Amino acid sequence: MAVSDLGDPPAVPRRGARVMPLGLLAGSARVVRPLISFVFVLAIWSGVGAAQLVPETIFPAPWTVWNATVEMWQMGTLAGDLAVSLSRAAIGFAIGATLGVALGLMTGRIALIRTLLGPFLSLLRPIPAIALVPVAIVWFGIGEGSKYFVISYTVFLTVWFNTHHGMEYVPEIYLRASRSLGASRRREFLTVIIPAAAPYIFAGLRLGVALAFLSLVAAELSGASSGLGYRLQEARQYIRTDRMFSLLIILGALGASVDMVVHQIGRKLVHWQQG
Amino acid sequence: MTRMTAEGDVRVDDVAIRFKGKDGPVTALDRTTLRLRPGTFTALIGPSGCGKSTLMNAIGGFVAPSGGAITIDGAEVTGPSAKVGVIFQQYALFPWFTALGNVRFALRRFGLPRAQEIERAHAALAEVGLGAHAGKFPQQLSGGMKQRVAIARTFACGPKVLLMDEPFGALDAQTRLGMHDLLMGVWQKHRATVLFVTHDVDEALLLADDVHVMSQAPGRLIRQYHLPQPRPRAFNRSGSELLDIREEILGLLRPEGVLAAIH
Repeated sequence: MAVSDLGDPPAVPRRGARVMPLGLLAGSARVVRPLISFVFVLAIWSGVGAAQLVPETIFPAPWTVWNATVEMWQMGTLAGDLAVSLSRAAIGFAIGATLGVALGLMTGRIALIRTLLGPFLSLLRPIPAIALVPVAIVWFGIGEGSKYFVISYTVFLTVWFNTHHGMEYVPEIYLRASRSLGASRRREFLTVIIPAAAPYIFAGLRLGVALAFLSLVAAELSGASSGLGYRLQEARQYIRTDRMFSLLIILGALGASVDMVVHQIGRKLVHWQQG
Repeated sequence: MTRMTAEGDVRVDDVAIRFKGKDGPVTALDRTTLRLRPGTFTALIGPSGCGKSTLMNAIGGFVAPSGGAITIDGAEVTGPSAKVGVIFQQYALFPWFTALGNVRFALRRFGLPRAQEIERAHAALAEVGLGAHAGKFPQQLSGGMKQRVAIARTFACGPKVLLMDEPFGALDAQTRLGMHDLLMGVWQKHRATVLFVTHDVDEALLLADDVHVMSQAPGRLIRQYHLPQPRPRAFNRSGSELLDIREEILGLLRPEGVLAAIH
């Protein structure tokens, strides 16, 4: 039968024609606007540095920080610290995220597990990562184990919480549609519930990445002999504020770039969530 | 086509549905008895909040009756199944699947070889005029197109009973008319017992074999009309009887009309 003349044009081209130029503008604004802010702050910082209002040891100028960065790079400590810290964050994140998603899928859908664990896990969430460091050191020593523990623990709780909520808020209408289309419980879980919860799971993973960096520093501030957090601590002992600033900027840049990558991956995988 | 099968015989026998409300139980549907003969198209019309959707949800197995029983082909309804297809006003397409993927989801239960499953999904989309849009995601389609995907998806599953809950309520008048023709075409080809909930009297009269009118909450069936007029119908050529029924139903749907019918 011929039904091509129903008179409802596809929504996207119609909307796209108007939104495209705006979209391009927004795209370039995303790159340009942060740059404006960075240049602005850098200019003020340089001004303060050039005027020598504050002693360099307390508040170093941008070029001093740059020199400290080059110095740490040439000594070889920076590359080593970066490698150690990134691998700690990555391993801790991987363990925590895997457990968080797995348990979130269970507490979200299985009433017994939810009853047994949900309230307890919610109670753990307000405990700051740094408060765990002493316990971690007793349990796992000052080696890598305690670092992984602190990082994966904080990542786990956040990822669990978001996954759990995503599972709880799967729209009822999807379940009704899936059941009336004859899907088995297994197929419903894999191809309806998990995709429906995916936007929440990704939001949790993104928060988890940010937390991995936060708790990394907490874990390295005590009982480490390498890593960016340890190097910060060491710089304090020598009152090297220039190195501290350099390390802080590196931590910020690292966290922001990893966050951006995760965000982009999420947008690709849960492509239906926009607009 | 296997059109004269006697499958899809729906019997609603003395069914009442009550929910727990803030101040005690609320009766959403008063004791109701209704039969949908196999292969017929029944429209259910009534004021909003009268329990039409509740009755439909009960037949779909989404809500358990508080009393009475619902059977389809002699088997009691205990939960949703592929035997009863549902078309929702909000389409309920899975946004993570393309139009084709949504239809394939419905075909999956037949365990077809992959190539054949894809082929049948394409054919189902072509039938609703969306052959060229198989690769699009629901959010790239207009409302009318989404509902056409949903119709293709539901019929692909081979339901014996089809429940439609104000399926075209979110569409503009123009698109709606096109959807009526489309639905009639697909339905006459596949045949299923249809229960069509609407609050649009004209829609009910143009499409259905039987029209049931429900009262205001707590809902109960207050009047029934059988419409033998051949399809496609139109008010200007299907005789004055349709217009008379239309007036009557509009009267019934006014609050005072409902009261008069009860007392």
